[in-house]
Amino acid sequence: MGKPTGFLEQDRELPKKRDPKKRISDYHEVDPLIDESITQKQAARCMDCGIPFCHQGCPLGNIIPEFNDAVYQTNWKLAYEILISTNNFPEFTGRICPAPCEASCVLSINKPAVAIEYIEKTIIEKAFQEGYAKPRIPTTRTNKKIAIVGSGPAGLAAAAQLNYAGHAVTVFERADEIGGLLRYGIPDFKLDKQVLDRRINLMTEEGIKFQVNINVGENLSIQQLKEDFDAVLLCGGSTVPRDLSIPGRNLKGVHFAMDFLTQQNQRVGGKKVTVEEIWATGKNVIVIGGGDTGSDCVGTSNRHGAKSVTQIEILPKPPNDRTESMPWPNWPMILRTSTSHEEGCERQWSIVTKEFIGDESGNLKGLRVVDVESKTEPGKASTFVEVTGTERVIPCEIVLLAMGFMHPQHAGLLNQLGIEYDERGNVKASRFQTSIEGLFAAGDMRRGQSLVVWAISEGREAARAVDQFLCGVSYLESKEVSMLTAL
Amino acid sequence: MVLQTDGQIRTGRDLAIAALLGAEEWGVATAALVTAGCIMMRKCHLNTCPVGVATQNKELRALFTGKPEYVVNLFAFLAEELREIMAELGFRTVNEMVGQVDRLELRKTDDHWKYNHLDLSPLLFKEATNLDVALFKQEEQDHGIAEVLDRKLISVAKVALKEATGVKAEFRITNQDRAVGTMLSNEISKIYLGPGLPDDTIHIKFNGTAGQSFGAFATRGVTFELEGDANDYFGKGLSGGKLILYPSPKSTYNPSKNIIVGNVAFFGATSGEAYIKGMAGERFAVRNSGVKVIVEGVGDHGCEYMTGGTVVILGDTGRNFAAGMSGGVAYVWDINKTFVKNCNMEMVMLDTLDEEDEKLLRTMVEAHQQFTKSQLAAHVLSYWSTAYKNFVKVMPIDYKAVLEKRKAEKKAASLKLSVGNTDFKFSSN
Repeated sequence: MGKPTGFLEQDRELPKKRDPKKRISDYHEVDPLIDESITQKQAARCMDCGIPFCHQGCPLGNIIPEFNDAVYQTNWKLAYEILISTNNFPEFTGRICPAPCEASCVLSINKPAVAIEYIEKTIIEKAFQEGYAKPRIPTTRTNKKIAIVGSGPAGLAAAAQLNYAGHAVTVFERADEIGGLLRYGIPDFKLDKQVLDRRINLMTEEGIKFQVNINVGENLSIQQLKEDFDAVLLCGGSTVPRDLSIPGRNLKGVHFAMDFLTQQNQRVGGKKVTVEEIWATGKNVIVIGGGDTGSDCVGTSNRHGAKSVTQIEILPKPPNDRTESMPWPNWPMILRTSTSHEEGCERQWSIVTKEFIGDESGNLKGLRVVDVESKTEPGKASTFVEVTGTERVIPCEIVLLAMGFMHPQHAGLLNQLGIEYDERGNVKASRFQTSIEGLFAAGDMRRGQSLVVWAISEGREAARAVDQFLCGVSYLESKEVSMLTAL
Repeated sequence: MVLQTDGQIRTGRDLAIAALLGAEEWGVATAALVTAGCIMMRKCHLNTCPVGVATQNKELRALFTGKPEYVVNLFAFLAEELREIMAELGFRTVNEMVGQVDRLELRKTDDHWKYNHLDLSPLLFKEATNLDVALFKQEEQDHGIAEVLDRKLISVAKVALKEATGVKAEFRITNQDRAVGTMLSNEISKIYLGPGLPDDTIHIKFNGTAGQSFGAFATRGVTFELEGDANDYFGKGLSGGKLILYPSPKSTYNPSKNIIVGNVAFFGATSGEAYIKGMAGERFAVRNSGVKVIVEGVGDHGCEYMTGGTVVILGDTGRNFAAGMSGGVAYVWDINKTFVKNCNMEMVMLDTLDEEDEKLLRTMVEAHQQFTKSQLAAHVLSYWSTAYKNFVKVMPIDYKAVLEKRKAEKKAASLKLSVGNTDFKFSSN
């Protein structure tokens, strides 16, 4: 933006990731440390669009052209202030966001998009290095108390925002550490947990209280919470995984992806794994499901030293580029190769699983699969039809089910509350207010499984709704209301 | 008259509403551009349009993906949707529909508190029609083009047009004669193209009051002498012609204290010269890019956005002189010492005159005296050696820097050249 012709002179170039052969022997981040000189050159490619589509591409409404310009002018402090005005946790999104902003970048119409995510990551890392990222402690307190149940990105974002509004916020987490999926879902090689700890320490200094090992509805009653707090915000996530009810499901070696990933994060974090350990070492692994969780399973299996890793997906192989049915600036359903895929993995598409096959002692030894074709009839949802004669057995000792999450866990807290669900089983909460007054919901628990960036967005918007509920008026920023002035 | 409307017209519904409000024609610009690939970058002025719509950069133009068919499609859809709405409302033609405001319904909404204070009744007023009042255009307007003064000018200039020989003539002029000389200049340009005819080939004298745009776009070879006065847009877009204006000898007023030419004279003029015995109105020589003109006083906003040319003002100016002036020079005879407060100093500086300036000024004032018999010019010339010291030179700061840099470069180049030659001689020895 600072340079009107920047996009004509500079190509998109980012630092190389660590060598795949070497990086699979550890759990450190695959991305190298930031290089701000590269970032600055990349920021010069931003075109200061008359209509910046990245604004709507980003679920947070990040003010991207402005921070790009600040980076180009090497005004890192201003860049940080612009960035933090819309995004509480750029260090997470700068690492693990699929960057819908870049998909909607105007430059990406005919050239590679501006490297927005890398710029974002540089800004926040630089802010921590230079000490701009300091605790922002509210000057006045409202004497209102808010409980947030769940400490994933939605809960954390809401906590940060509500604390800025002057409320006393306590975050309850049923696991032994704060962070939700950031802690026990996303592998360390994508998000180093020190990055998470750094943020939580900052939030603690800002005055937010964190309580772990509290499972609301089990070892703390919701009644108690409602009595002790002026408002309660539920951010429990979408935790019930989609299952595959086919013969052999109970064989030893068939696991949900999250069980596998969680215990690896525990190991890296120096914790003891208290449940049955799942190791892919020396085994043939099949990951069912072609999404991000599946990809994380691939990366983790390779780090375990799996004999082979195969990822299968029911949908057909997506095209390499945009087609007419997914024009810019929409999110394109194209083939994406993650860092985990680069590390080695066979990917197969248009496959449906028929049966888990086991040996005499109940151990998994193979997967019966068949090819499918998708059949579309006008006016009807497309269906999958098996291709005759393609049925076969793929040998494997471990299957990881990564077919997405259906909805939040109903058993326990939600059912005790008698809360209303939407047609997909998520907590019904238009404008974040659930069917029970004073009880709010946000994040995947409300909108269903989604991205970290959406969770942060949900947390921020919900914070505003809660603040309005408590005070009648809210001065918190949200996507529609920016408090940033005098740029 | 045909009423045309534009502004955010994007759908057949927009067309229908505009028609019911009285529009007979519509302008569709942004929507059409968008169908051709425009993404509203708002960079049309920077030559960096990344989709190749508004740029001369070859690399970027290669990225243009629009096709005429897309625009055709848009208009087909617009027309189709308008037809559907017309059918729904029972109109067979657009004319039947124009101005039928009563077919519009006000949507009840309380989305915003401001709506409660909105009174649209003046907008939705329907004019009653009778034999003399209709809602759409009933007859073609006669612009009288067949009878304009330029037809006569062209006819007397026939020889000049054909053989480039000199022609002289004299006409009476009234304020109904607008854009006099424009069609004549067009005839010249058609034959002699940009360079035009030799100076003063066609010399025509007018007596009376000229209407708007006298001498507009007058090309080289045209000299108009006007005895009387003139309306607005005098010499607009002047393109090489010469305009001389002085009051009738019968007039009793002092021309240097009275306005004899209207507003916006020489707007966007590119070349040529002009001599005005008397004062001009507001916005004199705005966007002038090359005309040499002398006048005896101007109103507000003189020389605004000027980019080139020379303007001499033998008298006072109004306020905001030289606002946004990025090129050219103005000389103001600041005898009353009022100029400094009237000049907009954002982009210009006030300079003293050097020898070159003095020479140029003197030539121009002399020519002014010669062509217009200006008493003021004669007066100034009568004690020139002291009078010229009251001239202030108005110079755009950046423009001056560029001129000086060029001068220095030229000097350096000629020096280098001579040194280089010497070197060459030495080495060849």
